[in-house]
Amino acid sequence: MSEISLTDWLLTGMLNYGAPTIGLALLIGAVGVPLPSTFFVLAAGAFARQGALDGPTTAMLGFLGAVVGDSLSYGIGRVARTWVQRRFVASAAWHQALVAFERRGGLAIYLTRFLVTPLAIPTNLIAGSGGYSYWRFFLYGAGGKLTWIGLYGGLGYLFGPQWELLSQLVSDFSGLLVGLIVLGSGLYVWLRRRKATNIPVAKKRRMAAIN
Amino acid sequence: MASSANSTFTSQRWERYLTTILIVVGLLLIIWFGMRSAVSAIRVWRTGLQPGVTDVEAIRGWMTIPYIGQAFGVPEEYLFEALGTPAGGNRRKSLGKLNREYASGERGAILKRLKAAIRRYQTEQPARTKGVP
Repeated sequence: MSEISLTDWLLTGMLNYGAPTIGLALLIGAVGVPLPSTFFVLAAGAFARQGALDGPTTAMLGFLGAVVGDSLSYGIGRVARTWVQRRFVASAAWHQALVAFERRGGLAIYLTRFLVTPLAIPTNLIAGSGGYSYWRFFLYGAGGKLTWIGLYGGLGYLFGPQWELLSQLVSDFSGLLVGLIVLGSGLYVWLRRRKATNIPVAKKRRMAAIN
Repeated sequence: MASSANSTFTSQRWERYLTTILIVVGLLLIIWFGMRSAVSAIRVWRTGLQPGVTDVEAIRGWMTIPYIGQAFGVPEEYLFEALGTPAGGNRRKSLGKLNREYASGERGAILKRLKAAIRRYQTEQPARTKGVP
């Protein structure tokens, strides 16, 4: 009980100062400070159920903080854009990644807001540094944040005092999803490499058969 | 020509490293979080997630006395009296801070007193405690 952590300090702040603290906590988390933001949303839902916070105001300020934080981390990526472009200008993989992000970035932005939240910051930075349109980023991001606050805030409200237990499950499951995405990406790159190295071999075999 | 071949070789080697790292890290994350998810799911399943159930074991160091009073349906004056601390100036302080100030940081001392006070109040006046929410 004697340990002081930023998370505990913000939770006490939510009880003492209400909705603005959740807005601040979600803003800080969205900028990249390692804070358990989903935990805060679940807590805010439970506090609203217990009458310690006003539900609509909390949801509104939380949403505002999260969206502003996302925009700031997109901005950080945008500032780093010149450096990134100079560093990766010759990389075909980087250009391929940008094309892929341009095509499916919206879905990635939406899903990383509430389903695979540990990947939200890297996504914001890639979007900013890759020159992804801010307004598209904003729209997908805001949609994702609305889902996030509605879903987890709603769960916190529904399960009241047991929100901590639920938060642990949500956090572990999110980590599991990140693991699946990382493994999937590894397998994708491996299969693509295998396919690329197999094509010249097949060509050689065909040539040998003709000769 | 030699430079181009060298660059292709470096790129291939880089891709090989990346693939290995992604697969190994992915597997480690899956094992670690898979086990944790299973444990959390079992815990949730055993508890049953009853929306109305709350008990004093859920009290944490970041909570304040007014919040605990509201959550457990116990008047905050009763809690402050049981803890032997004045309400004035302490309403916004977390249990952790109260512990440092009034129990010389003795681990869990305030929490223990608080749990005892809530249980006592609940047995004395069962109809008035809400068992929130």
